Amino acid sequence: MTDGPARVPGQRAAAIWGVLATVLVVVSSIGVFLVAPEDADQGIIQRIFYFHVAIAIASLVAFAVACVAGILQLRTRDERWDDVGEASIRIGLLFSVLVVITGSIWAKASWGTWWVWTDPRLVTYLIVVLIYAAYFVLRSSVEDDRRMRYSAIYAIAGFASVPLSFYSVRVAESFVHPVVFTSSGANMPGSMLWWFVVSQAAMICLFVALLELDLLGRRSERALRRLAMRLESA
Amino acid sequence: MRRRQLMALVRKDLRLELRTRETIVAMVLFAIVMLVILQFGFGTRDDDLTRFVGGLMWVTLAFTAVLGVGRSYVAEREQHVLDGLLASPVPRTVMLGAKAIAIFLYMTAVEVVVIPLVGVFFVKGSYWDAIGWIAIAALLANACIALSGTLFSGLALFTRARDLILPVLFLPALVPVVVAGAGATHAVVGGSPDMSEWRGYCLFLLAYAILFALVSIATYDAVFDD
Repeated sequence: MTDGPARVPGQRAAAIWGVLATVLVVVSSIGVFLVAPEDADQGIIQRIFYFHVAIAIASLVAFAVACVAGILQLRTRDERWDDVGEASIRIGLLFSVLVVITGSIWAKASWGTWWVWTDPRLVTYLIVVLIYAAYFVLRSSVEDDRRMRYSAIYAIAGFASVPLSFYSVRVAESFVHPVVFTSSGANMPGSMLWWFVVSQAAMICLFVALLELDLLGRRSERALRRLAMRLESA
Repeated sequence: MRRRQLMALVRKDLRLELRTRETIVAMVLFAIVMLVILQFGFGTRDDDLTRFVGGLMWVTLAFTAVLGVGRSYVAEREQHVLDGLLASPVPRTVMLGAKAIAIFLYMTAVEVVVIPLVGVFFVKGSYWDAIGWIAIAALLANACIALSGTLFSGLALFTRARDLILPVLFLPALVPVVVAGAGATHAVVGGSPDMSEWRGYCLFLLAYAILFALVSIATYDAVFDD
C-alpha cells in the first residue's frame, strides 16, 4: 500500500479563503486608490477610511467569533474551540492595533495631531487593545485545561467589555470623529459605499483566511508531533 | 438554603476582616496615600482642584479596588479554605455572590473615608451638597467593581505571578467604571449640577453591573471546575 502525500484537514479551505482574500484585497486596493471618488472636504487622506473602518468591523467580528468559541469551549471542553478562540483574538488584536495606527494617521491629517482624546472611537480601540492584550498575559501564566477554561472565560468577559468601553467613552466625550453610519443609513455617496463594501468583504475574508491558516498550522504541528511519537515508539 | 449559605460565607469574610483588620485598613491607607501622591503629581500649588476632582477620586478608587480585590481570596488560598468550600455542596454562584458582597462592603468602607476627604483636600467650592449623589454613583460603581473583580480575581487566583496578572486583567475592564464614576462626579460637583448627565452615567453603571453579573454567573462554574 502506498500513501499519498499526507494531508491535514482544512488545507483546501485555507487555500480557497487565502485566494479569495488576496483577490479581494487587490481589487479593493485598486478601487480605493484609483477608482473611488475623492472626498471634497478631506481629500486623499479620506481614502484611509476604507481600510480603517473595514478593519475595525473585522476586528469586532474576530472578537465575537472568539466569544462564541469561548462559550462552545466551556460547553464541550473541546481543544479545537480553544484554538479558534486564541487565533481569533490574535488576529482581532492585530486588526485593532491597525485601527489605532490608521486612526492616528487620519487624526494627524485631519486635526494636526497624532492623538485626540476627544475622539471616542480611537480611545475605545486603545482600551480594546489593552483588554485583549491581557488575554495573552493570562494564557501564558496558566497551563493545560485551566488555560483553555480561563481563556474562554476571559474571551467572553472581554467581549462584554467592548460595548461598555464604546458606550462609556461616547457618553464622556463630544464627537469629533466623522460619523459614517447613522441610524438613517450610510453617510456617503453610492460609489464610495460600493468600494467600502468591497473593502469590508476583503477584510472579513482576510480574517477568515488568517484564521484558517492559523488553525491549519496548529493541526499540522499536532500531526507532526503524533508522527514523531509513532516513529520514536517504532 | 442558598440564602443561608450566602450569608454564612459573607459572615465568614467579614468576621475574618474584623478580626485581622488587614484588608480595609490597608485599602484606606493606600487610598489616602494615592490622593496625596496625585496632588503632588499634578504639580500645582492651587488648592482648588474641582476641575480634576472626579479623576482624582476615581483613579484612587480604581487602584484601591485592585488592591482589595487582590486580597479578597488570600484566606481561601493560603489557609486552604477554598478546598473545603469546593468540596462542600455550596453552588459556585453562591460563592460568587458572597465574594462580590464582601468586596462591595470593603469598597463602601473605603469610600466612607475617601469621598469626604476628596472634598476636604481638593474642592474649595460647592461639594457637600452633591455628596449624596456622588455616594449613589459610588454604590453603583461598587457593584460593578465587586462583580467584575470577583470574576477576574478568581481567574488570577491560580496563575503564576497572580499579583501582576490581576491588575493587567482587571484595570482595562475598570476603565468604563472610572469614566462613568468621574463623569457622574463632575456632573454634580462645582455649583450647577447636571442631573440628566448624572442619571446617564448612573444608568450606564447599572448596565455594566447587570452585564457583568450575567457574565459572571454564566462562567463562574468554570473558574473552579478542577
